[in-house]
Amino acid sequence: MTRKRFVILSLVPAIGLLATLALVSIAGAVWFALMNRTLRSPDYDFVGAYNFLRLLRDHRFFNALEISAIWELVTVTGTLVVAVLLAVLIYETVKKPLWRNLICFAFLVPVLLPRVAAAFIWRFLYSPSLGAINYLLGLVGIGPVEFLADPSLALISVAIVDIWQWGLFFTVILLKLMETLPKDPVEAAKLDNARTWEIHAYITLPMLKGPLISLALVKAVESLRSFDLIFVMTGGGPGTATETLDLYAYQMGINMGGRISYASAMSILLLIVTTVVFTIIWKAGKKWAN
Amino acid sequence: MGKLISTTLTRALLALLIIVALGPILWTVLGAFKELRDIVTPVPKLIFEPTLDNFATILRNPTIRDGLMHSVIVVSASVLIGAVLGIPAAHTLARHARRWGDDVQFFVLSLRFMPPVAIAIPFIVIYLDLGIYDTLFGLILVYLITTISTVIWLAVPAFERVPHDIEEAAAMEGCGPAEVFWRFSLPLAAPSLFGALVFTFVLVWNELLLALTLAAQNATLPVVAASITSLGKEVPWGVINAATVLLVLPPLVFIGLLMGLLNTMVRSGPK
Repeated sequence: MTRKRFVILSLVPAIGLLATLALVSIAGAVWFALMNRTLRSPDYDFVGAYNFLRLLRDHRFFNALEISAIWELVTVTGTLVVAVLLAVLIYETVKKPLWRNLICFAFLVPVLLPRVAAAFIWRFLYSPSLGAINYLLGLVGIGPVEFLADPSLALISVAIVDIWQWGLFFTVILLKLMETLPKDPVEAAKLDNARTWEIHAYITLPMLKGPLISLALVKAVESLRSFDLIFVMTGGGPGTATETLDLYAYQMGINMGGRISYASAMSILLLIVTTVVFTIIWKAGKKWAN
Repeated sequence: MGKLISTTLTRALLALLIIVALGPILWTVLGAFKELRDIVTPVPKLIFEPTLDNFATILRNPTIRDGLMHSVIVVSASVLIGAVLGIPAAHTLARHARRWGDDVQFFVLSLRFMPPVAIAIPFIVIYLDLGIYDTLFGLILVYLITTISTVIWLAVPAFERVPHDIEEAAAMEGCGPAEVFWRFSLPLAAPSLFGALVFTFVLVWNELLLALTLAAQNATLPVVAASITSLGKEVPWGVINAATVLLVLPPLVFIGLLMGLLNTMVRSGPK
């Protein structure tokens, strides 16, 4: 077999299938967004930009947009802050490899949990009447707190679960990265009597700038896939306090009424925004990291 | 003295962190062995008479059993096809594609940017029209987007780590590119590739949205688990805990492997 034939045979099935599936879903979404298709009837007509114009007058859509933006911001910064603080703490205080490995194993467990399972575990813990967290709060005289039923607390309560899963995971990655760094700059700083936090803020963390940017991007992309967590924990409620765009599109397109075209218009907008934004950030981030 | 206090404080803090990481899961495991009256207590109980009733309930429940079976079929088929198609493609991207390889890799990566709901909504209509809505085949097909792209994404660096010399020497001896791939690159990259497959398995095993929208009777375990909020009057917390444990077990089996994958990726230099 020649090289050219091998290249074609190995690449075309995989990339072809991926491209077909991606194209079908994007073309399908665009097509349905221009129609008035619903799940109830198979008949539909061309309505042009009607669905998009209606989105501009939909308060619930803008609410979902806002919730999604807050969700991205809170989970990405929360995850990175937790990961940096904990990685530095463990790097400085735990020196024995055995203990470090044990902590790493413990920190890897949450991210492996299915989102549905993590959601149930925390719904149980958050429960006002029989949850362990409210019991502990009760001991110090607070509560019971309605973590998931209070509109002002619900989003942050769900975000904490997300940060619990990803922040601990990124701690392990950062710790492993810190172990691979050259020791000389740190030793030099120690000779100059630099404080521990100064060493990390000015030497180790700047050396990890590239990986930190990549981690932030990975988290930003993964934060878009939080449907499972929010769906099981609050279902978008109370009211629309935790309704992100994917939840609203799901409710519109599948749960209530099955307004496929309207939901398609929404997902097209979401798709354009995320693809454009992430492509720009990804390419810029790669340049900046180098 | 001051040093002693600060070490004690750090130790306590680290212990607290481990409790935060593992406590919620251990608490759920305990709950899975409790009867409902041991769960609905004002003071959480640590000591109780363990029961296997919750596990008996979920394993006897035909919906949950079907969900488990569907999950096993859908996940193993989509990961297997993803591996068969994705691994050779990754090798080619790592070794035979210099100019356009980066663009293809970026396309594969950009599929991960796609919001799942943007796949789910058009696919539900297309599946209804094609008559493959609520079939295992339909679920496997849509999961291939995730499995093929993740396998390629993780396998390209694994093949890049295979020493060039070995492949070149094999080519000098007259091995064709397919033989070099099959007899040399694949065995050398196998440990990392296995880690990549495990990671892919975990992603698909955990997926909810696509299974929830594209299947009804033939849904997978996460969908079934998400729907047991009320089997009867009271919220069956014991049963929910047991179902959660069942859902959590397969990914956790692979934690050691994931650690190994992380170690090799960090050592070879992150991108």
